[in-house]
Amino acid sequence: MTLVDFPAIAVATVTGWGLGSVLQIPARKSKPAAWASWLLMTGATALLAWFLASYWIALERPPLRTLGETRLWYATLIPVVGYLVEYRWKIGWLKYYCMGLATLFLGINLMNPDVFQKALMPALQSVWFVPHVVVYLVAYVLLAASSVAGWHNLWLEYRGKGSKLSESMSHYLALLGFVLLTFGLVFGALWAKEAWGHYWTWDPKETWAFISWLAYLGYLHLVARKTDVKVLQWYLGLAFLVLLVCWFGVNYLPSAQNSVHTYSGAS
Amino acid sequence: MQTSKSPVTPTAPSEGFGAAALFTLAAIVAGFAIELLTSGSGISIPRWPANGLFLSAFVSAIAAVGFGFREHRLVGWLGGIPVGLSLIVGMALLSFVGGVLPQDPAPAGSMVALFRLNGMFSSWPFAFVTLLFLFNLGLSLLWKTVPFRMSNLQFMLFHGGFWIALACGLAGTADLQRLIIPLYEGKESDVAYEMPTERPVRIPFSIYLKDFQIDEYVPQFALYDPATDQVIAEKAGAVPEVRKGARAVWPGIASATVTDFRPDALPDREGNPLPANGHKGVPFAKVRVEVPGQAPVEQWINGGGPEIRPQFLPVGNYFVVIAPGAPKAFRSNVMIRSSEGGHRAAVLEVNKPFDVLGWKLYQMGYDEKAGRWSTMSLVEAVNDPWLPAVYVGFFMIMAGNLLFFWKGIKKMEAA
Repeated sequence: MTLVDFPAIAVATVTGWGLGSVLQIPARKSKPAAWASWLLMTGATALLAWFLASYWIALERPPLRTLGETRLWYATLIPVVGYLVEYRWKIGWLKYYCMGLATLFLGINLMNPDVFQKALMPALQSVWFVPHVVVYLVAYVLLAASSVAGWHNLWLEYRGKGSKLSESMSHYLALLGFVLLTFGLVFGALWAKEAWGHYWTWDPKETWAFISWLAYLGYLHLVARKTDVKVLQWYLGLAFLVLLVCWFGVNYLPSAQNSVHTYSGAS
Repeated sequence: MQTSKSPVTPTAPSEGFGAAALFTLAAIVAGFAIELLTSGSGISIPRWPANGLFLSAFVSAIAAVGFGFREHRLVGWLGGIPVGLSLIVGMALLSFVGGVLPQDPAPAGSMVALFRLNGMFSSWPFAFVTLLFLFNLGLSLLWKTVPFRMSNLQFMLFHGGFWIALACGLAGTADLQRLIIPLYEGKESDVAYEMPTERPVRIPFSIYLKDFQIDEYVPQFALYDPATDQVIAEKAGAVPEVRKGARAVWPGIASATVTDFRPDALPDREGNPLPANGHKGVPFAKVRVEVPGQAPVEQWINGGGPEIRPQFLPVGNYFVVIAPGAPKAFRSNVMIRSSEGGHRAAVLEVNKPFDVLGWKLYQMGYDEKAGRWSTMSLVEAVNDPWLPAVYVGFFMIMAGNLLFFWKGIKKMEAA
């Protein structure tokens, strides 16, 4: 499967998420509607995952090289976090944000189509390529979900409907995200030593990865100091902006002109 | 990640943060003042053994203060979360500057150069903040380690690993050697160059380059517009690979089909491609182009090489061209002879460094203008005596991280 099929897959996926979300309304009272809703939402995500797998096969390399390809992974994985949160904590609202974010990223890919390109530069042909990027992407997905949850918790608090369960959920998402962020950072350093001769060169992407890591390290220390929960939700809501700079904002900074990390086809 | 590392527990979560923020700010201001007074000369870390002695003295100082004045309020504050967190913010802010501004030479006398904003990670403010952070982290680590409790293992591994990786990584930068060795086919060299000064350095081994090879991806064919110096987008959004039967459609302009393909050929007197031996051949493709309302045209085209001019197929104002495939892999077949007399054959390839006499050799580059006909190979030789210590730190961080994950999952299940 190639990029020619992507618009149809993206439309079918978003339609599945949309219809599934609408069916959540009758699903409160009707079991068949609930089944149909979940079938549509998870089926749409499975369709996107299937496209990703087929695209991987067609490309003959992991689709993790361009910014568009990382957005595709992100759009596939973030709804899964929403579904797992509902399964684990019985919190339903997060999945809508997750599917909304995924739709936004699919939309960006539709507006900035990638070029089908099999080539993978020699430095990326490493056993570290997939674990480093996938671990980072899952971390980004979890931290995006924690950020969205932070904003929603502030809204709930504003309406006087703050919930300990929901605050706890945003914390655990951030905690898991930080664990993976740490692994991603160390994997990247180990790979850099094998490919580029040194584990850390203060390349702009590395610098921003370090800043992002420090940001969430700061969050965990604030938690350890028993900081006010409202402050923590604000912190989580804003911390994700640093990750966004690290993910693609760094390509547009003055420092990026000499970066070895700038994504090809950054769009 | 820290729970109660300070022996002096403040009564309110925010207590101590104001003073800690001022403390961090003072360190940053002092660092920038030194930069201003020295015209942004930065800090130069001493080489072995001075860096090793400094690190030992620093560890001893942490131990003396941590054990000797553990109950002192000021020491408790110095090793506490507010100071640690303020220094983390300070480090993040300085990194932010270094992550936004290019870390390249700037005009002498400019604000950027005077405050060393273009060399942030070797500047005095960054050094001060990092040293104080290591002091804070060291104290908290000491208090969590003595007396030893198994429940503190995750803290010790994660924080200890971070301390070791950061301290040894920074101290070791002075002893890190990264040298470039240009190699030419059929020649031997034991001279490397320091960058960016290009100062020649004799290395304790010599390298003879037997052969340099490049594997390329399959070449691609495209419709080139010389007016815009751009390639016209193909209907399927791809740049099609050259292979027999491959077809491309450029909507409203033309379509093309590859009817024959010779991946490695040289032309005979009539211009027809014949299989070539060795590295001198180029890819040839016979392309049949159909333009609406015109008779089809079929012709051999090639991408050109050192001994052949490229051939294109004109289509109106455009040209059907062959673009060489991107490099897939490149490697140097070398013979390494050490100063001790031994010699070893080796293949240097990207992502596959080769160890010799404590150095790591990396396939770095080649003559990009010559492309796959390059007879020159650039090899990087790296010697980093502090690497084992930094790797111990990395693996401790990962072990602590795994425990943190495990504890987090258990807490989450209990919540």
